[in-house]
Amino acid sequence: MQSKELHIEINEVSGTQNAVIINFSGELCSLCISKISDTFDKIDFNFTSNKFVIAEMSEVTMISSAALGEFMGGRKRLIEKGGELVFAGLNIELRTKLNLMGANKVFRFYNDQRSAISAYKWEYEKHPEHLHLSFPPYLKLVPPIRSLVSRVARQKGYGNRDAFRIETIIDEVCNNAIEHGLEGQNNKIDMKVTIDPGKIEFVVTSISDPEKMYALRALLKPEEDATKWRTDDKRGRGLDLIKMLSNELSVECNEAGTSVHVKKLREE
Amino acid sequence: MESQIELLYEDIPGKSNARLIRFVGDLDATNVETVLEKVCTLFSEGFINLIADFKKLRYVNSTGLGILLHFSKSAKEKGGSFKIANVNENVYEIIEIIGATALLEIYDELDEAVAALR
Repeated sequence: MQSKELHIEINEVSGTQNAVIINFSGELCSLCISKISDTFDKIDFNFTSNKFVIAEMSEVTMISSAALGEFMGGRKRLIEKGGELVFAGLNIELRTKLNLMGANKVFRFYNDQRSAISAYKWEYEKHPEHLHLSFPPYLKLVPPIRSLVSRVARQKGYGNRDAFRIETIIDEVCNNAIEHGLEGQNNKIDMKVTIDPGKIEFVVTSISDPEKMYALRALLKPEEDATKWRTDDKRGRGLDLIKMLSNELSVECNEAGTSVHVKKLREE
Repeated sequence: MESQIELLYEDIPGKSNARLIRFVGDLDATNVETVLEKVCTLFSEGFINLIADFKKLRYVNSTGLGILLHFSKSAKEKGGSFKIANVNENVYEIIEIIGATALLEIYDELDEAVAALR
């Protein structure tokens, strides 16, 4: 049976500084290892800087162990120059085969090109990720929202302790927005989250309730010792907690709305 | 969707006016009223010495902490106590950084909290 001919195409990824995609299609049999080797030579020759190379494998139907060996050699050359080689788009059968060969201990696998590029931008170019939520001012919505942001932080590599602190900050900011904002499903709370490998920032904007403004302004006044609770404080002290868990906190408060900006640096 | 919290009660041998409450889940603004009601019912039934086991309490926020301080104060007013044991690292940090450790009776182990009952 004749094997499907191997085709290889190299493309730079637009909008990135150092990412390259190698599109493979056909069968990566033991007879074609020189083609794979030549491809890595081309990358070595044409691109002097450290390259993040994505091997796009969605059109590949077979990988021989000899071909995998070539990929390992190619990765080693890239790593030595501060680059990386990852796989994207492997079908389940090939992924299973590579796992059995132990390749998952060496290479990172991404479901598709987009995920691989996104990981590159996050890890190498330190691009922030953005999350924008808008929700009615209902307390019952706060637990899933704080949990979502905390999960995003964990998924982005933040540790459990940071993720827990982020969850607490989000919880307190949202609870304050609900407590001091206008009620009703049309008076939505707007939350913008920006996360990068070093920090997470939130801006939470709510529509102020004029009748509750005095209470909010009172909360914003600095106290002599904000860290001390009293046993008759049945109501929480959310703003103090946010101050102590975050690195920066600013509150803009006027008749139209209240905007809370929090910055928290990654600690783990 | 409210956060899930479950309060499981157990007798404490030899202490007729004491109860062990195991907190399971998250304590926050969505369920604090329910917890307040349940614990106040215990007080009204004469259980003035309460031990809260936080081994399975995953999360607490400032509203939840406020209610814990309220339980502590209420128990003392009734001549009893509200003791907390087995607090996880994250929850303890929240209690600690806002200075509530000085206001709550916190024990590392449940046995220590039971032994400290009058």
